[in-house]
Amino acid sequence: MLILVWIFILGSMEMAKKKLLPFRKLTGLDALPEMVGRAAEMNRPVHFTTGLGSLTESVAPQLVAGLAVLAHVSELCAKYGVKIIYSVYAAQVMPIATELIKAAYVKAGKPEEFHAEESVRYLSGEQFAYASAVQGIAERERPAANIMIGPFYAESMLFSETFQRIGSIQLAGTARGYQIPFFAIVCDYLLIGEEIYAAGAYLSGDPVQVGTTRGQDYGKIVALILMILGILATAAGSTAITSLLGM
Amino acid sequence: MSTTLKKTIPVAIVFVVALLVMMDYFIVTPPTDAAGKSWTSGAVKDLQNWGIILTAFSLGFGAVNLFYFHSKHISRRTPDQWFFSLWLLIVIVIFTAVGVFTGPTSTSYNWIYNASYFALSATVYSSLGFYMTSGLYRALRIKNIESAIFMVVGVIVLAKNAPALAVYSPALAAWGSFIENVITTSAQRGIMIGGALGAISLGIRTMTGRETGFLGKLTEEEKGGGTE
Repeated sequence: MLILVWIFILGSMEMAKKKLLPFRKLTGLDALPEMVGRAAEMNRPVHFTTGLGSLTESVAPQLVAGLAVLAHVSELCAKYGVKIIYSVYAAQVMPIATELIKAAYVKAGKPEEFHAEESVRYLSGEQFAYASAVQGIAERERPAANIMIGPFYAESMLFSETFQRIGSIQLAGTARGYQIPFFAIVCDYLLIGEEIYAAGAYLSGDPVQVGTTRGQDYGKIVALILMILGILATAAGSTAITSLLGM
Repeated sequence: MSTTLKKTIPVAIVFVVALLVMMDYFIVTPPTDAAGKSWTSGAVKDLQNWGIILTAFSLGFGAVNLFYFHSKHISRRTPDQWFFSLWLLIVIVIFTAVGVFTGPTSTSYNWIYNASYFALSATVYSSLGFYMTSGLYRALRIKNIESAIFMVVGVIVLAKNAPALAVYSPALAAWGSFIENVITTSAQRGIMIGGALGAISLGIRTMTGRETGFLGKLTEEEKGGGTE
Protein backbone atom coordinates (compact mmCIF):
# COMPACT_ATOMS: atom_id res chain seq x y z
CA MET A 1 0.00 0.00 0.00
CA LEU A 2 2.80 2.37 0.98
CA ILE A 3 4.70 1.59 -2.25
CA LEU A 4 1.51 2.17 -4.25
CA VAL A 5 0.97 5.56 -2.59
CA TRP A 6 4.60 6.50 -3.33
CA ILE A 7 4.07 5.60 -6.99
CA PHE A 8 0.80 7.57 -7.15
CA ILE A 9 2.30 10.65 -5.52
CA LEU A 10 5.52 10.68 -7.55
CA GLY A 11 3.45 10.03 -10.70
CA SER A 12 1.15 12.92 -9.86
CA MET A 13 4.15 15.20 -9.30
CA GLU A 14 5.40 14.36 -12.79
CA MET A 15 1.93 14.83 -14.27
CA ALA A 16 1.56 18.22 -12.57
CA LYS A 17 4.75 19.43 -14.26
CA LYS A 18 2.93 19.13 -17.59
CA LYS A 19 -0.56 20.26 -16.58
CA LEU A 20 -1.91 22.27 -13.61
CA LEU A 21 -4.27 19.99 -11.73
CA PRO A 22 -7.53 21.39 -10.31
CA PHE A 23 -7.52 21.88 -6.54
CA ARG A 24 -10.53 22.13 -4.28
CA LYS A 25 -10.85 25.51 -2.53
CA LEU A 26 -9.88 25.49 1.13
CA THR A 27 -11.92 28.34 2.59
CA GLY A 28 -9.91 28.44 5.80
CA LEU A 29 -6.66 29.09 3.98
CA ASP A 30 -8.27 31.57 1.59
CA ALA A 31 -9.45 33.51 4.65
CA LEU A 32 -5.91 34.11 5.96
CA PRO A 33 -5.48 37.55 4.28
CA GLU A 34 -8.89 38.57 5.66
CA MET A 35 -7.88 37.45 9.15
CA VAL A 36 -4.58 39.34 9.09
CA GLY A 37 -6.30 42.34 7.46
CA ARG A 38 -8.84 42.41 10.28
CA ALA A 39 -5.99 42.41 12.82
CA ALA A 40 -4.38 45.33 10.96
CA GLU A 41 -7.63 47.30 11.03
CA MET A 42 -8.14 46.64 14.73
CA ASN A 43 -4.46 47.26 15.54
CA ARG A 44 -4.29 43.98 17.40
CA PRO A 45 -1.90 41.03 17.03
CA VAL A 46 -2.39 37.68 15.32
CA HIS A 47 -1.88 34.63 17.51
CA PHE A 48 -0.53 31.37 16.09
CA THR A 49 0.20 28.06 17.75
CA THR A 50 1.02 24.55 16.58
CA GLY A 51 -0.27 22.76 19.68
CA LEU A 52 1.57 20.04 21.52
CA GLY A 53 3.66 18.99 18.55
CA SER A 54 7.28 18.04 18.78
CA LEU A 55 9.61 17.15 15.94
CA THR A 56 10.54 13.73 17.33
CA GLU A 57 7.08 12.24 17.71
CA SER A 58 4.55 10.65 15.38
CA VAL A 59 2.68 13.97 15.24
CA ALA A 60 5.69 15.71 13.66
CA PRO A 61 4.03 15.89 10.17
CA GLN A 62 1.18 17.91 11.69
CA LEU A 63 3.70 20.27 13.24
CA VAL A 64 5.57 20.64 9.93
CA ALA A 65 2.24 21.38 8.24
CA GLY A 66 1.55 24.05 10.87
CA LEU A 67 4.97 25.61 10.32
CA ALA A 68 4.29 25.90 6.59
CA VAL A 69 1.17 27.94 7.39
CA LEU A 70 3.12 29.96 9.97
CA ALA A 71 5.58 30.96 7.24
CA HIS A 72 2.72 32.23 5.09
CA VAL A 73 0.93 34.04 7.94
CA SER A 74 4.21 35.69 9.01
CA GLU A 75 4.64 37.01 5.50
CA LEU A 76 1.14 38.49 5.57
CA CYS A 77 1.76 39.99 9.02
CA ALA A 78 5.04 41.52 7.89
CA LYS A 79 3.35 42.94 4.79
CA TYR A 80 0.43 44.50 6.72
CA GLY A 81 2.53 45.58 9.72
CA VAL A 82 0.70 43.31 12.16
CA LYS A 83 2.37 41.85 15.24
CA ILE A 84 2.46 38.05 15.23
CA ILE A 85 2.65 35.99 18.41
CA TYR A 86 3.71 32.37 18.02
CA SER A 87 3.17 30.37 21.21
CA VAL A 88 5.68 27.54 21.55
CA TYR A 89 5.19 24.29 23.44
CA ALA A 90 8.23 22.31 22.26
CA ALA A 91 11.42 24.32 22.70
CA GLN A 92 13.06 22.53 19.75
CA VAL A 93 10.63 24.32 17.41
CA MET A 94 11.78 27.77 18.58
CA PRO A 95 14.86 28.16 16.36
CA ILE A 96 12.90 27.00 13.29
CA ALA A 97 9.98 29.33 14.01
CA THR A 98 12.32 32.24 14.71
CA GLU A 99 14.04 31.72 11.37
CA LEU A 100 10.70 31.38 9.53
CA ILE A 101 9.28 34.61 10.91
CA LYS A 102 12.56 36.48 10.52
CA ALA A 103 12.77 35.39 6.86
CA ALA A 104 9.22 36.69 6.30
CA TYR A 105 10.13 40.13 7.69
CA VAL A 106 13.34 40.24 5.67
CA LYS A 107 11.40 39.30 2.53
CA ALA A 108 8.90 42.11 3.25
CA GLY A 109 11.84 44.52 3.56
CA LYS A 110 11.11 45.20 7.24
CA PRO A 111 13.76 43.26 9.21
CA GLU A 112 13.87 46.01 11.86
CA GLU A 113 10.22 45.28 12.77
CA PHE A 114 10.99 41.70 13.79
CA HIS A 115 11.52 41.19 17.52
CA ALA A 116 12.22 37.51 18.18
CA GLU A 117 11.38 37.52 21.91
CA GLU A 118 8.06 39.27 21.26
CA SER A 119 7.00 37.12 18.32
CA VAL A 120 8.25 33.68 19.34
CA ARG A 121 7.34 32.91 22.91
CA TYR A 122 8.35 29.74 24.66
CA LEU A 123 5.62 29.07 27.22
CA SER A 124 6.07 25.65 28.76
CA GLY A 125 6.68 22.02 27.92
CA GLU A 126 3.83 21.02 30.27
CA GLN A 127 0.41 20.75 28.64
CA PHE A 128 -1.75 22.75 31.02
CA ALA A 129 0.93 25.31 31.90
CA TYR A 130 1.20 25.98 28.15
CA ALA A 131 -2.61 26.05 27.84
CA SER A 132 -2.94 28.55 30.70
CA ALA A 133 -0.21 30.74 29.22
CA VAL A 134 -1.97 30.84 25.84
CA GLN A 135 -5.21 31.77 27.60
CA GLY A 136 -3.29 34.51 29.44
CA ILE A 137 -1.99 35.90 26.13
CA ALA A 138 -5.56 35.85 24.77
CA GLU A 139 -6.96 37.74 27.74
CA ARG A 140 -4.16 40.31 28.02
CA GLU A 141 -3.28 41.02 24.40
CA ARG A 142 -6.65 40.20 22.81
CA PRO A 143 -5.45 39.02 19.38
CA ALA A 144 -7.84 39.81 16.53
CA ALA A 145 -7.13 36.45 14.90
CA ASN A 146 -6.16 33.06 16.25
CA ILE A 147 -4.71 30.32 14.06
CA MET A 148 -4.18 26.83 15.47
CA ILE A 149 -2.72 24.19 13.18
CA GLY A 150 -1.06 21.04 14.47
CA PRO A 151 -1.68 18.27 16.96
CA PHE A 152 -4.07 19.41 19.72
CA TYR A 153 -5.29 17.52 22.74
CA ALA A 154 -7.48 18.58 25.68
CA GLU A 155 -6.40 22.22 25.30
CA SER A 156 -8.26 22.59 21.99
CA MET A 157 -11.51 23.58 23.67
CA LEU A 158 -9.74 25.81 26.22
CA PHE A 159 -8.12 27.77 23.39
CA SER A 160 -11.04 27.99 20.99
CA GLU A 161 -13.53 29.05 23.68
CA THR A 162 -11.18 31.64 25.19
CA PHE A 163 -10.41 33.22 21.83
CA GLN A 164 -14.07 33.06 20.84
CA ARG A 165 -14.98 34.94 24.02
CA ILE A 166 -12.54 37.78 23.27
CA GLY A 167 -13.90 38.05 19.72
CA SER A 168 -11.01 36.62 17.71
CA ILE A 169 -11.65 35.23 14.25
CA GLN A 170 -10.36 31.65 14.33
CA LEU A 171 -8.89 29.08 11.97
CA ALA A 172 -8.16 25.64 13.40
CA GLY A 173 -6.80 22.50 11.83
CA THR A 174 -5.74 19.17 13.21
CA ALA A 175 -5.51 15.56 12.14
CA ARG A 176 -6.40 14.35 15.64
CA GLY A 177 -9.90 13.00 15.16
CA TYR A 178 -11.07 13.51 18.75
CA GLN A 179 -10.38 17.26 18.69
CA ILE A 180 -11.93 18.05 15.29
CA PRO A 181 -15.52 18.25 16.69
CA PHE A 182 -14.42 20.75 19.35
CA PHE A 183 -12.85 23.00 16.77
CA ALA A 184 -15.81 22.52 14.42
CA ILE A 185 -18.35 23.86 16.89
CA VAL A 186 -16.36 26.92 17.97
CA CYS A 187 -13.99 28.09 15.23
CA ASP A 188 -14.90 30.16 12.18
CA TYR A 189 -12.80 28.12 9.76
CA LEU A 190 -11.68 24.52 9.99
CA LEU A 191 -9.16 22.29 8.25
CA ILE A 192 -10.01 18.63 8.72
CA GLY A 193 -7.38 15.90 8.83
CA GLU A 194 -5.57 15.67 5.51
CA GLU A 195 -6.36 19.31 4.65
CA ILE A 196 -3.66 20.51 7.04
CA TYR A 197 -1.05 18.44 5.19
CA ALA A 198 -2.16 19.98 1.90
CA ALA A 199 -1.96 23.51 3.36
CA GLY A 200 1.72 24.01 2.51
CA ALA A 201 1.13 22.90 -1.09
CA TYR A 202 -2.02 25.01 -1.38
CA LEU A 203 -0.37 28.18 -0.09
CA SER A 204 2.79 27.68 -2.14
CA GLY A 205 0.87 27.75 -5.43
CA ASP A 206 3.49 25.32 -6.76
CA PRO A 207 1.72 23.02 -9.30
CA VAL A 208 4.01 20.07 -8.49
CA GLN A 209 3.22 20.30 -4.78
CA VAL A 210 -0.46 20.63 -5.58
CA GLY A 211 -0.09 17.56 -7.83
CA THR A 212 0.88 15.37 -4.86
CA THR A 213 -2.61 15.79 -3.46
CA ARG A 214 -3.93 14.02 -6.59
CA GLY A 215 -1.72 11.08 -5.58
CA GLN A 216 -3.39 11.16 -2.14
CA ASP A 217 -6.78 10.89 -3.84
CA TYR A 218 -5.68 7.83 -5.82
CA GLY A 219 -4.48 6.33 -2.52
CA LYS A 220 -7.92 6.95 -1.05
CA ILE A 221 -9.57 5.21 -4.01
CA VAL A 222 -7.33 2.16 -3.45
CA ALA A 223 -8.16 2.20 0.28
CA LEU A 224 -11.87 2.39 -0.57
CA ILE A 225 -11.65 -0.52 -3.01
CA LEU A 226 -9.76 -2.59 -0.44
CA MET A 227 -12.41 -1.78 2.16
CA ILE A 228 -15.26 -2.88 -0.10
CA LEU A 229 -13.37 -6.03 -1.08
CA GLY A 230 -12.62 -6.66 2.61
CA ILE A 231 -16.30 -6.33 3.55
CA LEU A 232 -17.39 -8.68 0.75
CA ALA A 233 -14.60 -11.20 1.43
CA THR A 234 -15.24 -11.23 5.18
CA ALA A 235 -18.99 -11.64 4.60
CA ALA A 236 -18.19 -14.59 2.33
CA GLY A 237 -16.02 -16.12 5.07
CA SER A 238 -12.66 -15.37 3.45
CA THR A 239 -9.78 -13.76 5.37
CA ALA A 240 -7.73 -13.08 2.21
CA ILE A 241 -7.90 -9.28 2.41
CA THR A 242 -7.35 -9.06 6.17
CA SER A 243 -4.38 -11.44 5.84
CA LEU A 244 -3.00 -9.37 2.94
CA LEU A 245 -3.14 -6.22 5.08
CA GLY A 246 -1.64 -8.04 8.05
CA MET A 247 -4.63 -7.36 10.30
CA MET B 1 22.10 33.06 2.23
CA SER B 2 23.09 30.75 -0.58
CA THR B 3 20.70 28.16 -1.98
CA THR B 4 23.07 25.38 -0.88
CA LEU B 5 22.93 26.47 2.77
CA LYS B 6 19.26 27.38 2.80
CA LYS B 7 17.79 24.52 0.81
CA THR B 8 20.13 21.85 -0.55
CA ILE B 9 21.87 20.84 2.69
CA PRO B 10 18.71 20.79 4.90
CA VAL B 11 16.77 18.82 2.28
CA ALA B 12 19.67 16.35 1.85
CA ILE B 13 19.81 15.84 5.64
CA VAL B 14 16.03 15.32 5.78
CA PHE B 15 16.21 12.82 2.90
CA VAL B 16 19.02 10.73 4.39
CA VAL B 17 17.56 10.72 7.91
CA ALA B 18 14.03 9.88 6.72
CA LEU B 19 15.34 7.12 4.46
CA LEU B 20 17.33 5.56 7.31
CA VAL B 21 14.37 5.64 9.70
CA MET B 22 12.05 4.15 7.07
CA MET B 23 14.58 1.44 6.18
CA ASP B 24 14.90 0.50 9.83
CA TYR B 25 11.14 0.25 10.19
CA PHE B 26 10.15 -1.47 6.95
CA ILE B 27 13.16 -3.49 5.80
CA VAL B 28 14.57 -6.44 7.70
CA THR B 29 18.35 -6.05 7.34
CA PRO B 30 20.77 -8.80 8.47
CA PRO B 31 22.23 -8.41 11.98
CA THR B 32 25.73 -6.99 12.11
CA ASP B 33 26.57 -7.36 15.81
CA ALA B 34 26.42 -9.98 18.55
CA ALA B 35 23.21 -8.49 19.96
CA GLY B 36 21.49 -9.26 16.65
CA LYS B 37 21.01 -5.62 15.66
CA SER B 38 21.33 -4.37 12.09
CA TRP B 39 23.40 -1.34 11.05
CA THR B 40 20.25 0.69 10.44
CA SER B 41 18.96 0.20 13.98
CA GLY B 42 22.30 1.41 15.36
CA ALA B 43 22.24 4.46 13.10
CA VAL B 44 18.62 5.25 13.99
CA LYS B 45 19.41 4.88 17.71
CA ASP B 46 22.27 7.37 17.28
CA LEU B 47 19.96 9.78 15.47
CA GLN B 48 17.42 9.51 18.27
CA ASN B 49 20.14 10.27 20.82
CA TRP B 50 21.18 13.34 18.82
CA GLY B 51 17.56 14.40 18.84
CA ILE B 52 17.45 14.10 22.64
CA ILE B 53 20.65 16.16 22.98
CA LEU B 54 19.33 18.86 20.63
CA THR B 55 16.04 18.95 22.54
CA ALA B 56 17.92 19.42 25.82
CA PHE B 57 19.88 22.33 24.31
CA SER B 58 16.73 23.89 22.92
CA LEU B 59 15.20 23.79 26.43
CA GLY B 60 18.04 26.07 27.51
CA PHE B 61 17.17 28.33 24.61
CA GLY B 62 13.54 28.32 25.80
CA ALA B 63 14.60 29.26 29.34
CA VAL B 64 16.68 32.19 28.03
CA ASN B 65 13.66 33.34 25.98
CA LEU B 66 11.44 33.19 29.09
CA PHE B 67 13.91 35.17 31.24
CA TYR B 68 14.51 37.79 28.54
CA PHE B 69 10.82 38.30 27.75
CA HIS B 70 9.60 38.45 31.35
CA SER B 71 12.52 40.51 32.70
CA LYS B 72 11.62 43.17 30.16
CA HIS B 73 8.02 43.25 31.41
CA ILE B 74 9.18 43.50 35.01
CA SER B 75 11.60 46.35 34.29
CA ARG B 76 8.94 48.21 32.26
CA ARG B 77 6.21 47.49 34.83
CA THR B 78 3.86 46.46 31.99
CA PRO B 79 0.29 46.83 33.34
CA ASP B 80 -1.53 43.53 34.05
CA GLN B 81 1.60 41.60 33.16
CA TRP B 82 4.66 42.46 35.22
CA PHE B 83 3.57 40.80 38.49
CA PHE B 84 2.76 37.56 36.62
CA SER B 85 6.17 37.75 34.99
CA LEU B 86 7.83 38.27 38.38
CA TRP B 87 5.93 35.37 39.89
CA LEU B 88 6.91 33.12 36.98
CA LEU B 89 10.61 33.92 37.35
CA ILE B 90 10.47 33.36 41.13
CA VAL B 91 8.85 29.95 40.57
CA ILE B 92 11.44 29.02 37.91
CA VAL B 93 14.27 29.94 40.30
CA ILE B 94 12.70 27.95 43.19
CA PHE B 95 12.17 24.85 41.02
CA THR B 96 15.70 25.09 39.58
CA ALA B 97 17.32 25.56 42.99
CA VAL B 98 15.42 22.66 44.57
CA GLY B 99 16.07 20.47 41.53
CA VAL B 100 19.80 21.25 41.44
CA PHE B 101 20.46 20.95 45.18
CA THR B 102 18.19 18.04 46.12
CA GLY B 103 17.79 16.25 42.77
CA PRO B 104 14.75 16.01 40.49
CA THR B 105 13.61 12.76 42.17
CA SER B 106 13.94 14.03 45.76
CA THR B 107 11.00 14.26 48.15
CA SER B 108 11.29 18.06 48.28
CA TYR B 109 11.14 18.43 44.51
CA ASN B 110 8.25 15.99 44.23
CA TRP B 111 6.42 17.84 46.98
CA ILE B 112 6.63 21.27 45.35
CA TYR B 113 5.74 19.73 41.97
CA ASN B 114 2.70 17.86 43.31
CA ALA B 115 1.57 20.69 45.60
CA SER B 116 1.82 23.40 42.95
CA TYR B 117 1.91 22.30 39.30
CA PHE B 118 0.03 19.03 39.67
CA ALA B 119 -2.85 20.66 41.55
CA LEU B 120 -3.03 23.59 39.15
CA SER B 121 -2.88 21.28 36.15
CA ALA B 122 -5.81 19.24 37.48
CA THR B 123 -7.72 22.48 38.07
CA VAL B 124 -7.20 23.71 34.50
CA TYR B 125 -8.17 20.29 33.15
CA SER B 126 -11.34 20.33 35.23
CA SER B 127 -12.29 23.75 33.93
CA LEU B 128 -12.63 22.08 30.54
CA GLY B 129 -16.09 20.92 31.63
CA PHE B 130 -17.32 24.53 31.70
CA TYR B 131 -15.78 25.33 28.32
CA MET B 132 -17.38 22.23 26.82
CA THR B 133 -20.75 23.19 28.23
CA SER B 134 -20.64 26.70 26.77
CA GLY B 135 -19.43 25.30 23.42
CA LEU B 136 -22.18 22.69 23.46
CA TYR B 137 -24.81 25.33 24.19
CA ARG B 138 -23.83 27.24 21.06
CA ALA B 139 -23.50 24.08 18.97
CA LEU B 140 -26.97 22.81 19.85
CA ARG B 141 -28.83 25.93 18.75
CA ILE B 142 -30.98 25.12 15.71
CA LYS B 143 -30.16 27.49 12.84
CA ASN B 144 -30.55 25.26 9.79
CA ILE B 145 -31.14 21.61 8.84
CA GLU B 146 -27.55 20.58 9.59
CA SER B 147 -27.63 22.10 13.07
CA ALA B 148 -31.04 20.47 13.68
CA ILE B 149 -29.59 17.04 12.80
CA PHE B 150 -26.58 17.83 14.96
CA MET B 151 -28.87 18.72 17.86
CA VAL B 152 -30.94 15.53 17.59
CA VAL B 153 -27.86 13.31 17.32
CA GLY B 154 -26.16 15.20 20.14
CA VAL B 155 -29.15 14.79 22.45
CA ILE B 156 -29.38 11.04 21.71
CA VAL B 157 -25.68 10.49 22.48
CA LEU B 158 -25.94 12.71 25.56
CA ALA B 159 -28.95 10.71 26.78
CA LYS B 160 -27.14 7.43 26.12
CA ASN B 161 -24.26 8.56 28.32
CA ALA B 162 -26.53 9.84 31.11
CA PRO B 163 -27.02 6.77 33.38
CA ALA B 164 -30.62 7.53 34.44
CA LEU B 165 -31.86 8.09 30.89
CA ALA B 166 -30.04 5.00 29.62
CA VAL B 167 -31.79 2.89 32.29
CA TYR B 168 -35.29 4.25 31.65
CA SER B 169 -34.97 4.38 27.88
CA PRO B 170 -32.93 1.43 26.59
CA ALA B 171 -33.99 2.17 22.98
CA LEU B 172 -32.33 5.59 23.20
CA ALA B 173 -29.19 3.93 24.57
CA ALA B 174 -29.18 1.50 21.63
CA TRP B 175 -29.48 4.38 19.14
CA GLY B 176 -26.68 6.20 20.95
CA SER B 177 -24.44 3.14 20.72
CA PHE B 178 -25.24 2.77 17.01
CA ILE B 179 -24.34 6.41 16.36
CA GLU B 180 -21.09 6.09 18.30
CA ASN B 181 -19.98 2.66 17.10
CA VAL B 182 -21.07 2.78 13.47
CA ILE B 183 -21.57 6.33 12.19
CA THR B 184 -18.93 8.17 14.25
CA THR B 185 -16.35 5.39 14.08
CA SER B 186 -16.64 5.05 10.29
CA ALA B 187 -16.31 8.83 9.85
CA GLN B 188 -13.30 8.90 12.19
CA ARG B 189 -11.67 6.07 10.23
CA GLY B 190 -12.23 7.95 6.99
CA ILE B 191 -10.51 11.00 8.48
CA MET B 192 -7.73 8.75 9.79
CA ILE B 193 -7.09 7.15 6.39
CA GLY B 194 -7.11 10.57 4.69
CA GLY B 195 -4.80 11.93 7.38
CA ALA B 196 -2.36 9.03 7.02
CA LEU B 197 -2.24 9.48 3.23
CA GLY B 198 -1.78 13.23 3.71
CA ALA B 199 1.13 12.61 6.09
CA ILE B 200 2.76 10.25 3.56
CA SER B 201 2.27 12.82 0.82
CA LEU B 202 3.78 15.56 2.99
CA GLY B 203 6.68 13.23 3.80
CA ILE B 204 7.36 12.56 0.13
CA ARG B 205 7.19 16.27 -0.72
CA THR B 206 9.55 17.05 2.15
CA MET B 207 12.00 14.27 1.24
CA THR B 208 12.09 15.31 -2.40
CA GLY B 209 12.60 18.96 -1.48
CA ARG B 210 9.29 20.17 -2.92
CA GLU B 211 7.75 21.10 0.44
CA THR B 212 9.99 23.71 2.00
CA GLY B 213 7.50 25.36 4.33
CA PHE B 214 9.58 24.37 7.37
CA LEU B 215 12.55 26.22 5.81
CA GLY B 216 10.55 29.40 5.39
CA LYS B 217 9.22 30.87 2.17
CA LEU B 218 11.98 30.47 -0.37
CA THR B 219 12.37 32.78 -3.31
CA GLU B 220 12.08 31.29 -6.81
CA GLU B 221 15.86 31.54 -7.06
CA GLU B 222 16.33 29.60 -3.82
CA LYS B 223 13.79 27.02 -4.97
CA GLY B 224 15.99 26.44 -7.97
CA GLY B 225 13.91 28.43 -10.46
CA GLY B 226 14.41 31.92 -11.91
CA THR B 227 14.55 35.18 -9.99
CA GLU B 228 11.33 36.37 -8.37
